[in-house]
Amino acid sequence: MSISLAQHHHPQGIDGHIHQAPTSFVRKYVFSIDHKIIGIQYFVTTGIFMAIAGLLAEVIRTQLLSPNAQFVSPDTFNEAFSVHGSAMVWLVIIPMLTGAFGNFVMPLQIGARDVAFPWLNMASFWMFPPAGLLLFGSFVIGAPQAGWTEYPPISGPQYGPPGTTMWCMAIFLVGVSSTLTGINFLVTMYKMRAPGMTFTRMPLFVWAQMATAILSMIATTALAGALLALFLERVFGIPFYDPARGGSPILWQHMFWFYSHPAVYIMILPAFGIISEIFPTFARKPIFGYKAIAFSSMAIALLSFMVWAHHMFTSGLSPSIEVAFMLLTMVIAVPTGIKIFSWVMTLFGGKIHFTTAMLFAIGFIITFLCGGLTGIYLAAVPVDLHLHGTYFIVAHLHYVLFGGSVMGIFAGLYYWWPKMTGRMMNETLGKWHFALLFTAFNLTFMPMHFLGIMGMPRRVSFYVNDPWFIFWNELASIASYAMAGSFLIFLYNALSSLKSGALAGPNPWGARTLEWQIPSPPHYYNFKNIPAVYSAPYEFDKPLPYGNLQDELDDSKVPPQLLHGHGEHAHAGAH
Amino acid sequence: MAVHVAAHGADEVDHLYAETADLRLTGFVLFLISDVVLFSSFIFAYLYLRHSVPQWPWPPGTAPLDTAFAAVNSVVLFGSGATMHFALENWKHGNRSKWFGWLIATIILGSMFLGGQAYEYSHIQATWGGSIFGASFFTLTGMHGFHVFCGVIYLIILGLQTSQNVYTRQKYFGLVAGTLYWHFVDVIWVALFFLFYLL
Repeated sequence: MSISLAQHHHPQGIDGHIHQAPTSFVRKYVFSIDHKIIGIQYFVTTGIFMAIAGLLAEVIRTQLLSPNAQFVSPDTFNEAFSVHGSAMVWLVIIPMLTGAFGNFVMPLQIGARDVAFPWLNMASFWMFPPAGLLLFGSFVIGAPQAGWTEYPPISGPQYGPPGTTMWCMAIFLVGVSSTLTGINFLVTMYKMRAPGMTFTRMPLFVWAQMATAILSMIATTALAGALLALFLERVFGIPFYDPARGGSPILWQHMFWFYSHPAVYIMILPAFGIISEIFPTFARKPIFGYKAIAFSSMAIALLSFMVWAHHMFTSGLSPSIEVAFMLLTMVIAVPTGIKIFSWVMTLFGGKIHFTTAMLFAIGFIITFLCGGLTGIYLAAVPVDLHLHGTYFIVAHLHYVLFGGSVMGIFAGLYYWWPKMTGRMMNETLGKWHFALLFTAFNLTFMPMHFLGIMGMPRRVSFYVNDPWFIFWNELASIASYAMAGSFLIFLYNALSSLKSGALAGPNPWGARTLEWQIPSPPHYYNFKNIPAVYSAPYEFDKPLPYGNLQDELDDSKVPPQLLHGHGEHAHAGAH
Repeated sequence: MAVHVAAHGADEVDHLYAETADLRLTGFVLFLISDVVLFSSFIFAYLYLRHSVPQWPWPPGTAPLDTAFAAVNSVVLFGSGATMHFALENWKHGNRSKWFGWLIATIILGSMFLGGQAYEYSHIQATWGGSIFGASFFTLTGMHGFHVFCGVIYLIILGLQTSQNVYTRQKYFGLVAGTLYWHFVDVIWVALFFLFYLL
């Protein structure tokens, strides 16, 4: 082997970190410590949460079909949008991009047998179902009504419904889970890369997960502080946010957005990573600007801590502070622009295969670009003063979180589905799914820009009886039903693929990263022998840059230590 | 590559399967960093609230904190950091009896600090829920005190484990983690002492 192993520290040994073949159903599918199973557990759980939160969105859109609809009471409407937003952010998008994709794909891409702390990983996952029960269960005693941001005093002890306390506990729980996952992933990516995989040979999805893990680890604990203070105020009457006793509601906004702006990047960086895998694979071309994409993820992560107050331009900050935050926010457009430029240049002159995954990736660029551009408008203080709290914000955030994150999630699902299940999805149905989702998405959220500019406030269940207001709202609502329909196409496609999809084989897309060089679905030990990495992953004009993989597809050549499940008892003995 | 496993004895194989000390050390340090952020968010809240009122303590008429007593109590805690350092050094040099001696000294000093904090709490007229002064002081020092309490329990567990030969001179990650945690609690107290008593 020509590469130097000396510079890579593998304390667990190159062959290390094998765990026992699971022996029972419970150990294999319920309390599994296998990162791939845990990843799929995240997919299923967050998928169920997404369905519930999506139905709440349809409640909102149904109420807004006409200016004075009585579909639900104003209180129920408040509950619906508050829980919809909270669930989509914390129970769907963040765990899907980190817990689900990160868990399934990242260890495979760095050539590891598992994450650094498999037991901790299992614990992180099992915090999610209780968090979901707490959040959705809050409807029983009166769900929170102050939106996903839960500003005091409307979330405080005086005005917030009892369920707001359950909201605090649910979000605290997912916060702990996300912090622990971030720590786990950071140690994994830092310490457990296959020999030869230097930082600049890591797949870009791994870079994205690394930037995300840093954000999850640092920012989420800041949110935990804000939530703990709100919890103490609600339960024990401790005055943090109550102005009557010297507290400050603005304090919550600072603490909340210090987390929640980085959280925006927790929700988009992994999607950037997914797109960066899909473009070179389906353009059959090396990625353009590998280092530019990798380092811009880190730049975004760093900058994201310096821009939180742009959410607070109407909260009475001093104008000089507002200008500083405006400029810093606009600076974030630079690394983001670098990425979009690099992706477009990757496509340029490529031999493009229009698979469903590729269509979603291209759709991602279009819709995310719209959301990014309106983000730059909103960063400008004078524009924000006019648009703050209107439907323009709703349009903007759905263009980045739905048009960005969810499009990225679907791109990734279509891309890695064969690896996860061993079976192909139906491409024709996939393309119908994309066409319907993309069209309906734009018809739902594009009108909200106009409504916002016309002055329609968000989070209100009635609106002015004006023909244009009614037209745009009806269009958005009807299109949102079509969007729900597109999810049914996906569900049907996924279930029929599991039942009778064509077998995928190890590498149906001709991709070059490590996870495609082993069987689909991978064995519980991932790699028979830990691979050696000689070069960067996207050089489509060169031979595959990996060594030690010759036995991977030959099932008769399993190293003996993988067959005789040594070892879980070793975890029990402390060192 | 498989030779690594085949060539070594059963102990070595078990060691390969376990989460190794190196991974755990990195993970533990990252955990402490995230805990620092939790304290930082409350410290930010404290400074923000303190800055938003014309005088401190708030409301006017609240008795200030007893800096002299807290200074003595701080010396007790910082002293426990030193004794813990000596304890781990003695473990590394295979000196078991001195390890136990210094560890017990650390546990006693840590408990003395907690007792001192309880004494101080009972002599402060401000209450937790009464004002932003009480809210920020009792929440932050209480969070720190809870960390010290957990640390004392952790050190007691480490003492029991070492008495049952759970750790060896080569493998003692738990002791390193306990020592790191104890120093972390010390460092947080430096910040809190400055912010509440000296600022």
